[in-house]
Amino acid sequence: MADHSSSTTHSQFFQHHFVDADQQFEAAKMGMWIFLATEILMFGGLFAAYIVFRLWYPDLFTQASAQLDTFWGAVNTVVLIGSSLTVAMAIKSAQLNQKKNIAINLGITLALAAVFMVIKYFEWTHKFHLGIYPGEFYAFEGIAHEKANVFYSLYYLMTGLHGLHVLIGMGLMSWLLWRSLKGHFDSEYYTPIEMTGLYWHLVDIIWIFLFPLFYLIE
Amino acid sequence: MSGHHISTDKTLLGVAAALLVLTILTVGIYYIHIPTPWDIVTAMGIAVVKAGLVALFFMNLYWDERFNSMIFISGLAFLGLLIALTLMDTLFRVETIPGF
Repeated sequence: MADHSSSTTHSQFFQHHFVDADQQFEAAKMGMWIFLATEILMFGGLFAAYIVFRLWYPDLFTQASAQLDTFWGAVNTVVLIGSSLTVAMAIKSAQLNQKKNIAINLGITLALAAVFMVIKYFEWTHKFHLGIYPGEFYAFEGIAHEKANVFYSLYYLMTGLHGLHVLIGMGLMSWLLWRSLKGHFDSEYYTPIEMTGLYWHLVDIIWIFLFPLFYLIE
Repeated sequence: MSGHHISTDKTLLGVAAALLVLTILTVGIYYIHIPTPWDIVTAMGIAVVKAGLVALFFMNLYWDERFNSMIFISGLAFLGLLIALTLMDTLFRVETIPGF
């Protein structure tokens, strides 16, 4: 590690309080993992609520899930997997000094994230149209269960918090795209892409669980 | 140690393909209607495998410092604790469901 430090401290983004660029990179990555652990616990509270309510009202979850379109849920799962692949490709491009490919891969990631949000938008507006709102605003007659709003409150909270993360990810990807076009990233310095990538993969992992828990209940 | 592991296209595309196949599998299994509780067990099992693939090969935990895996696993362990302690309450109440 330290033996090639002289060759990795030339980046303009190297901070003088680190021993070398590797230490700076590893410190950033450990900090990112600690942040991701707090993210798991934030979403985890909602997953715990989901488990409790599903055990209390198993019939409700079976009935209410039928209003969710399995096809579009599956499409969004594939879209997010694709975007995780392109983020990993962007990091690889930076490591191999393929500067143009960094921007291309980040651009595709951003586009896939936008596709995800557009599908989500149509899913939500379709439910609003039916009168499926969270909590006390619930006004849909199609589900014969007095606690139908509980399922959809969880649905809006969990997919909403996830969607917020996708929007934040899109902001980060735009920033990375802009910086990559300015030529900031190369094999010596690509820390922001790696950190955003870790964040993005966690958002993907959370959707991997949301999809079967909401869309695949029989 | 090896924070700068460079993944090959073969690895990245292979993992993405595996995730795609597992997604198709989990949707396919949903349509053949396995009796409860095995439907949720299968669906969650597939989701755990998918999440594991993402964490190991997209998030590079396989090649990374073990300490980062430890942080990740402690997050999951505390989540398990939260769920277990919550269920110890809600599953064993005299009046199981509160009348709110």
